[in-house]
Amino acid sequence: MKGTQLGEFEELVLLIIGVLYPNAYGLQIRIEIMEQTGRKVAIGAVHSALSRLQDKGFVKSALAEATHERGGRRKRLFQITAAGKDAMEKNHELRNSLWNKIPDMALKGLSYGGSV
Amino acid sequence: MSNHPPKLADLFLGWFCRSELLEEIKGDLHECYGIEQAEKGTMRARWLYWYHVLHFLRPFAIKKKRQNSNLIIMYKSYFKFAFRNMTRHRLHSVMNLLSLSVGMACFVFVFIYVKTELSYDRFHTNADRVHRVVIDLIESDGNILPDATTPPALSVALKRDMPEVETAVRLFPGWGSKFLIGTSEEKKFYEEGLIRADSTFFDVFSFPFLYGNPETALDKPRQLVITRKAALKYFGREDVVGETLTIFSMNNARATISGVIEDIPDNSHFKFDFLTRLTFRGIDANWGWWNYYTYVKLNEGTNLENFNAKLPALYENARPGQDNYAPIYSQALTDIHLKSDLKWELGTNGNMSNIYIFSALGLFVLLISCINYLNLTVGHSLKRLKEIGLRKVFGAHRRSLISQFLIEALIMIILAVSMGTLLAEMLFRNLGDTLGKEVSVFTPDNLPALGAIALGGIVIGILAGLYPALHLSSFRVVNAVKGILNKNGKSAVSLRQVLLVLQFTISGIMIIGTLVVFKQLKHVQNADLGFDSEQVLVIDNASSVSNQQTLKAELSQLANVSEVGVSSGIIGGINWTTSLGYPDEILLNYVAVDPEFIDVMDFEMVAGRNFSKEIATDKQGFNIILNEQALKELGFSLEDVGKPQPIYLLNDTIRNGTVVGVLKDFHFTSFKSSIKPFGFFYREQTMDYMNVKLSTANLSGTLDQIEQTWNKVANGAPFEYFFLDENFSHLHEQESKLSEILTYLTILALFIAFVGMFAIANMTIRDKLKEIAIRKVLGASASRVSAMITRRFIGLVIIANLIGMPIAYLLMSRWLEGFVYHTSMDLLLFVAAIASTLLVAWMTVGSQSIKAALGSPVKSLRQD
Repeated sequence: MKGTQLGEFEELVLLIIGVLYPNAYGLQIRIEIMEQTGRKVAIGAVHSALSRLQDKGFVKSALAEATHERGGRRKRLFQITAAGKDAMEKNHELRNSLWNKIPDMALKGLSYGGSV
Repeated sequence: MSNHPPKLADLFLGWFCRSELLEEIKGDLHECYGIEQAEKGTMRARWLYWYHVLHFLRPFAIKKKRQNSNLIIMYKSYFKFAFRNMTRHRLHSVMNLLSLSVGMACFVFVFIYVKTELSYDRFHTNADRVHRVVIDLIESDGNILPDATTPPALSVALKRDMPEVETAVRLFPGWGSKFLIGTSEEKKFYEEGLIRADSTFFDVFSFPFLYGNPETALDKPRQLVITRKAALKYFGREDVVGETLTIFSMNNARATISGVIEDIPDNSHFKFDFLTRLTFRGIDANWGWWNYYTYVKLNEGTNLENFNAKLPALYENARPGQDNYAPIYSQALTDIHLKSDLKWELGTNGNMSNIYIFSALGLFVLLISCINYLNLTVGHSLKRLKEIGLRKVFGAHRRSLISQFLIEALIMIILAVSMGTLLAEMLFRNLGDTLGKEVSVFTPDNLPALGAIALGGIVIGILAGLYPALHLSSFRVVNAVKGILNKNGKSAVSLRQVLLVLQFTISGIMIIGTLVVFKQLKHVQNADLGFDSEQVLVIDNASSVSNQQTLKAELSQLANVSEVGVSSGIIGGINWTTSLGYPDEILLNYVAVDPEFIDVMDFEMVAGRNFSKEIATDKQGFNIILNEQALKELGFSLEDVGKPQPIYLLNDTIRNGTVVGVLKDFHFTSFKSSIKPFGFFYREQTMDYMNVKLSTANLSGTLDQIEQTWNKVANGAPFEYFFLDENFSHLHEQESKLSEILTYLTILALFIAFVGMFAIANMTIRDKLKEIAIRKVLGASASRVSAMITRRFIGLVIIANLIGMPIAYLLMSRWLEGFVYHTSMDLLLFVAAIASTLLVAWMTVGSQSIKAALGSPVKSLRQD
């Protein structure tokens, strides 16, 4: 199922939505991504990812109450759906199982500081 | 304001962003703006806002065009049908596109070329107020010899006596001499482009300064303004104000660079790399030296007619006591390049009549290709009757049919304009040498022109598309569906024929024109000049050798050198003039030479003898060798040769002179003018030019030998030379230019006509497939059927030629009248024109008709 694959950036956005629950909306997600990962991300990129996630059914959204700081404009708040949770778990499990399958020898002595 | 993000960005966002997403996106963006403004300041935040807005140009956020809009679907379908039609009838569309692009290419080419020619000297601020004042010369027989030069005192008198003159400047060019200029003894070059001028130069002309101040650049005598090119050549950098250059050939004068200007643009009628102050003594009152150019800048609102009317009086007052005054008048700066054709112009000028010829041709070729388009589209559309009928049945309005055909026309035109522009650029690349300058379609200056061309193309496209559109949409439904043409069809066919005739008429005229120009060029090139200019090598800095006689002797020793002579000028290049004759003076062109020079040039001696080293009187006074024209104008006959005759009046004393020899007339100027008097004096002195006659065609070896000999004697001076026949070919530069461009344009025009005829023959044959089949069934042979079809087209071409020939004859005989020595138009030219057009017609129609005639009649008859 090509359409329901979870991309790397999408997964990140999905995780952040979970982290920010219940206040996940576009700008906040962007700020959180930038803080957690140090990446520079345009708001447009976040919105685009959110729109894709919603198309795939991984998140649902609703417009929140208007607040003062945005000139009375409402925010769209995002929540993870069951399908989203499922996709995240699958990704997580896949990753864990692969990680565990790596033999110790393969990673031995590989570290940035050099002194292990 | 500052609390609000850029309004324009918001507007832009609102324009492209889907309305259901706009609120949340805008909200996020504004909030983000607030944060970033606080952190990074307003400026950065505003930039970032734009960055974020542009980042929303992604598919998910951009408005979808409403799918259910009739209009959009309709237009989409038009494009789709246009595309399908083009691919289905590939041959037809390629031909149509090719001929249209070629036509456009010719048009763009001519347009840009003419525009470049017309742009001369317009870059000066106040170019409209700058004029050149010139005085013609009057010859003894009353002939007026138009001349661009003036005496130096003229400018002073103009400034003093004419209130209209704001300022004036004199130019004194190098007159062919080369200046040895350098930063040091080691780094020096010969430079031709040195002009001396008054300090007012930059008040009149506005060449843009890179460094230095135009106000003071020529205030002091030893100041030098150089171009960027010269600065880079000598110093390797541009900002060289304050540096000094030594002009070795001006008594080692050291000049301080006071300004660096942009390189002189191609569209300036005079060019230079070095500009220095005019410092000759006594010139301000000199009315006798004719080697200065006078430019004036008039006050704003000066009435030019009044100004010109006052000039003769000024000239007469300045030189009282003269009996006849030569015409004095002014020329607008911007007219000089195209309209002035005087003796001693500062550069090679263009020619207004060439401009007219090119413009006419460009328009003609465009016209031919538009006709083609019209022919092809109308003809082709007859095949689309069923489509039109069906559209009508399904309720298409006439208007929508028209717009469908217009859109197809526009697609074609847009493709053709772009292809044509690229083609024109290719033409310019190929013709760079011929045009003598780099012209490109794609320069910033040409942007508006390109815009105009695109717009013009679209207008033409609409006009050319309108007829087919109106014509096609006018069919009655029932007939259209059945594929029957009513009377309209008949008229379309005959219109096609008229247009075809028009096309071939134009092609025929162009072929004849090209042939005539070509023939005239050959005539000029092969004409007997009266001397032998081939294999003559001219060393043009011969005066930089201290011992010229040694060099001459050494060169004469070389195996492949048959003769060496020196001269103070070049036949067909630079010569001197003087007044001579008694009692009536004539204007005599002359150069000083040695006896060997006459042999080098291989002049034909009609009477008398060559100069001789043994005869002392040959070397001074008025012992001269004349050409026949000079002999005649001086009033001598062949009997007078060798006898002293009164020849010159100096200080009320009549001086005698002897014509020692008479040469057969020879050409030393353009073939547009008749042969003028020419004379030679023998002087033993150092002269500028050494003429070396080579006896071999093996140039490279001989050149090496000559250069080695030169290096032995010349004491470090560079070896500079040219070949006399090359120099002579400059005299008919205009004609060879015209001939080459004409050839290109004619080939293109013929190509277009060929395409047109091919396509029309193709369509005619398809219309007649049934007729051909029936004729064959009834027993006609393939050759007869083919001849039947070909005959009609041949007839049209003959009609076209009959119309075109007299027009071509009239046009070209007028052109030839401009030459004193010109070729004639013979029958062969016209036969060639008619033969080539017939050949084209026969090839295009004949091959197709044979193919059609050989086909099986069953196939074409079975269809119904």
